[in-house]
Formats: sequence, structure tokens, C-alpha cells
Amino acid sequence: MSVTEIAGRLAGVDAGAPIRQSSLWQDAWRRYLRNRGAVAAGVVFLLILAWCVVAPIVSPHDPNRIAFSDAYQGPSWSHPFGTDQFGRDLFTRAALGGRISIGIGFGATLAILGVGVVYGAISGFVGGKLDNALMRFLDALYGLPYLPFAILALAIIGTVNFWTMVVALSIASWFITARVVRGQIITLKENDYVRAARAVGVRWYAVLGRHLLPNTLGVLVITIFLELPGVILGEAFLSFLGLGINPPDASWGSMAQDGRDAYRAHPHIIVIPSLAIATLVLCANFIADGLRDALDPRTKET
Amino acid sequence: MAAYIIRRVVWTVPVVLLVIFMTFTLMKQIEGNPFRKTERAVPAAVQANLERKFNLDRPWYVQYANYVRGVATGDLGPSLVLRDRTVNDIVEEQFPRSIELGLLAFGWAVLLGVPAGVLAALKPNSRFDYGSMLFSNVGFALPNFLVATLLIYFVSVKWGVLPTSGWTTWQHKILPSFTLGLVPMAYFARLVRGTMLETLQQDYVRTARAKGLRRRRVVGVHVLRNSLIPVVTAAAPLLGYIITGSFIVENIFAVPGIGRYYVTAVSARDYSVVMGLTVLLSIIVIVANLVVDILYGILDPRTREART
Repeated sequence: MSVTEIAGRLAGVDAGAPIRQSSLWQDAWRRYLRNRGAVAAGVVFLLILAWCVVAPIVSPHDPNRIAFSDAYQGPSWSHPFGTDQFGRDLFTRAALGGRISIGIGFGATLAILGVGVVYGAISGFVGGKLDNALMRFLDALYGLPYLPFAILALAIIGTVNFWTMVVALSIASWFITARVVRGQIITLKENDYVRAARAVGVRWYAVLGRHLLPNTLGVLVITIFLELPGVILGEAFLSFLGLGINPPDASWGSMAQDGRDAYRAHPHIIVIPSLAIATLVLCANFIADGLRDALDPRTKET
Repeated sequence: MAAYIIRRVVWTVPVVLLVIFMTFTLMKQIEGNPFRKTERAVPAAVQANLERKFNLDRPWYVQYANYVRGVATGDLGPSLVLRDRTVNDIVEEQFPRSIELGLLAFGWAVLLGVPAGVLAALKPNSRFDYGSMLFSNVGFALPNFLVATLLIYFVSVKWGVLPTSGWTTWQHKILPSFTLGLVPMAYFARLVRGTMLETLQQDYVRTARAKGLRRRRVVGVHVLRNSLIPVVTAAAPLLGYIITGSFIVENIFAVPGIGRYYVTAVSARDYSVVMGLTVLLSIIVIVANLVVDILYGILDPRTREART
């Protein structure tokens, strides 16, 4: 009798009948698809990404061409989002700005994950006094506002570009991720398969690399979408204050800053990039919620 | 509990020292000392005097020790750009407005966010519940410069009800504080709803109902008290939100506070002010964390054992 047959008997299914096997990720995907809000958010998110990638390529307008005769146009067929004070097409320019905003967003989020995983894994895996020290340190830093440190970091680096923005926005934002990873590692460490692996003499890096870190992957995927909104807003704040992305490059934040002076007569210039930010952040929050419901074993259906 | 408090307090000291050290080191790295010879031709003797006045001729650890001593005694040093002012002058002048703005924002959040969360939890899946959760989601997502601009556009410009900017009369304070309070409000609504729903399912709530207590009394006595603990714990992370938000809000509404001054100081390369304000804000957050952690232990005895 094969293992599947025994399993089938035990489960009360006819022996020989195919048993539906599904991995954790397939299960999660199935659960995610059942959450209509999260699916809608995911679709909109992908649409925004597609717009940012495709629009500048196919657009008939040069997003950096200055033509004062076209300045301050409202939305129309040829300019669906209107034009700004230099007559630049906002539909194309906002897509271009989206590339930078979203790029910085994902870049900084990955940096946060990187630092958080290393810090959290060391703390959770080593344990003992080191864990205690590292966590007390995080306790105290918890909630530290990232913006002053981002501004400080940019002042120190001296130049503002894509990569320095990534560094600035991740420098004081990794505390929560580190704590989450540490919590996961601590819980996973107590599992029998980890003890068994250790008992048969598997080296520590193999235990960490094969048994612990892969199992934090679900939490990390959720964390990406939890951290993304904060970073996107952070970029927008910095650029809005004039400390971030500089012209002629555009990000959603710097475009909002462009529209700041003309908000009375031409509010669309500030509203469009701001709404792009809001939509993306809203979608990311819904995706994070959906992923948490789909991946968190505690809310798993039985 | 006493052991926990002592350990928590003791741990705060090295963290504050480290934050000061990091800020200090970062500041040392910045190119463009305001007294560099290239920027303004100053006689060598004057240059030396300036450097001596600001202790720039001493080794870094002496400068660091001096700075820490200054912070400990409440002296954040002189401004590098405004020669007649110290960082303390700037803090004393601007900080009260930022504190007022932050407190008012927090007030909005408690006044509107907490009841929204409570009512949503009492009638889950009702229209009100969906409405307040939608509001909460949108409140999180809208960048506050958009909220500020829309409020100014409609309330101030179109309807002419409230002034567009400034910080003098109470009318000036409504829009900035509301804008800044929006994220905490959304946060409270969601947080309180979640903890309320959880508390409502506790055994002691069922017991209270089973022994015949009226629902209103059960909610008032048992549920509300336990559900509001997270509001206290959330105060520390919200402080971070409020500080970050104040940079934008003070800028748009021209509130002469710390958040706006910080940006001005960065642009003016007034690094001693930037450093002083960063250290000050960090210490405030660190201390708020400490207070909240201790309060949490007092309010919720269940967490005491886990933490000692």
C-alpha cells in the first residue's frame, strides 16, 4: 500500500482516487483570489505599473518638451491629464514620474527588507544576550520619524538621485521589519523539524538558509506591500519639500510641488500626481491585507 | 514590573547616546563647513578664532563629549548661520507652536477616530462600519499635501470660511491641525475597531452578558476600557507620524514651527540647528516610547509577566 493510499484511507477517501495536492503558495493564491477587494487592488496596481511602463513609450508627446503656448491646459483628448506650467503633457509625464516614484518605492522597500532580515535573523537565531540587546535597541528606536533622518542622509550624501533617495528612505525605516523577522525566526526555531535538523548535525547556516529563512518568505511578501506605501509617501514628501528628485526628472512628489503655486487656478497639476500616489498606496494597503489573510496560517481555513 | 521599568530606563541611555553619536558623525561627514575658506575669504586668524569658538579645532571625541554634555544640560549649541541665536532660542520660539499643532491634531484623532472605531465595531458590517473603514483606508492613502491643498482650495478660497495660512487666531489652527490629524484619525478608527471586535468575543464579556448586565453597561464597563489600551500604546508611533506630517503641514500652511524650520535650516546649511533639532525630536520619541511601554504594563497587567 502506498503512502498516498494510506493517506487516502485515513482521510476517508477511496484509495486510488487522486488526492488534490496543493502547496502553501497555491493555497494562498486561491485564498487571495477569493478576496474581491484585494484582487481589484492588485489589478489596479498592475494597471498603474503598465501605464508607467508603456505610456512614455507610445505617447506622441515628449514629456520634457517645453511649449509655453500649451501651458495650463485642462484635460482633453490630446492631453488626458492636461498640461503643466511649461506645457508638458501630464499623462506622459506622470507615467514617467511614476517610474521613478515606484522604482524608488520598491528599491527602498527591498533595502528595508535586506537590513531587516539580516538584523532580525541574527537577533532571533543567535538569541540570548545578543538578542536581548538588539531588541532593547529596537524598542527604543521604535517609531522614530524617518523624515528628519532621510533629510539628514541626503544632506550628507550631498547629491540627490534615484539611489541616494533609496538609501535616505530606508535608513530609518527598517525597525519594524527587523522585529517581524526576528519574531518569525524565534517561532520557527522551536519547530521539531528544526530541532531534528540540528540533532542530526546540520550546520547552522544550512538550518538558517534551508529551514528558517524560506519559511519567513510569506511574511516578507506581506512586508513588501506594508512598507511600500510609507516609502512612496516618503519620496513624495521629500520631493514636495524640494529636497528630493530635481527637475527635469519627475517623480509624483516633485510634480505635486510643481502644481503647488498654481493650485488656485489650475488645481489639476497638483491633484493628478497626488491621486496617483493615493491610488497606489491604497492598492498596496489592500494587497497587503489580502496577502496577510491568504498567507497567515492563523486565519487559515480548516 | 519594577525590574522591567529599571531595565527599560537604563537601556534608553545608550540608545540616546548612540542616536546623538550617529547624528554627530553624520554631521561631521557633510561637505561644506560653513567656515570653509573657499566659500568666503576670511583671514586665517579669524578662521582660527571661529574654529576655536565652535570647538572645531578639537579632536572629534572632545567635540562629541562637549555636545553630549550640552544636550544633557539642555544646551544645543549655537546656530552656525544666525550668529546671534542659539539652537535653544529657535526651539523655544518655534517648538511651542509645533507642540500645539501636534496636540490639536491628536485631539481631532481622538475626538473623531475613536468614536468611529467604537461605533463601527458595535455594528460590524453595517453601512457605518464600511463607511468608516473606507474613510480610514482613504485617510491613510491621501498624501497630506493633497488634503491640505484641497482644504485650502475649498474651505479658504472658494467658500472663504477659514484663513489659508498663518498661525495666529483659532481659525488659523483648524485646517492645519485637521490635516495633520487625519492619519492618526484613520489609524485610531481602524485600531479601535479591531481591538473592540476582539474584546467583544472574550469570555468575560459573554459572562457579563449572561449574568444579565445590559449591553450598554457591558460595553461601557468591560469592553471600552480594555479596547482603549491600544490607543495609549499607539501614541508613540503616532508621534512619529505627527512629526513627519508636521514637516509638510507647517510648510503648506506657513506655520512657523519646528517642522518648517528644519527644512529651512537644511537649505541654509545651518547644520548645528539640523543636528540639534534631530537630536531633540529623537529624544522626544525615545522618551515617549519609554513612557508608553511603562504605561502599557500598568494599564494591562497581563503583559507584566511576559515582559519581566
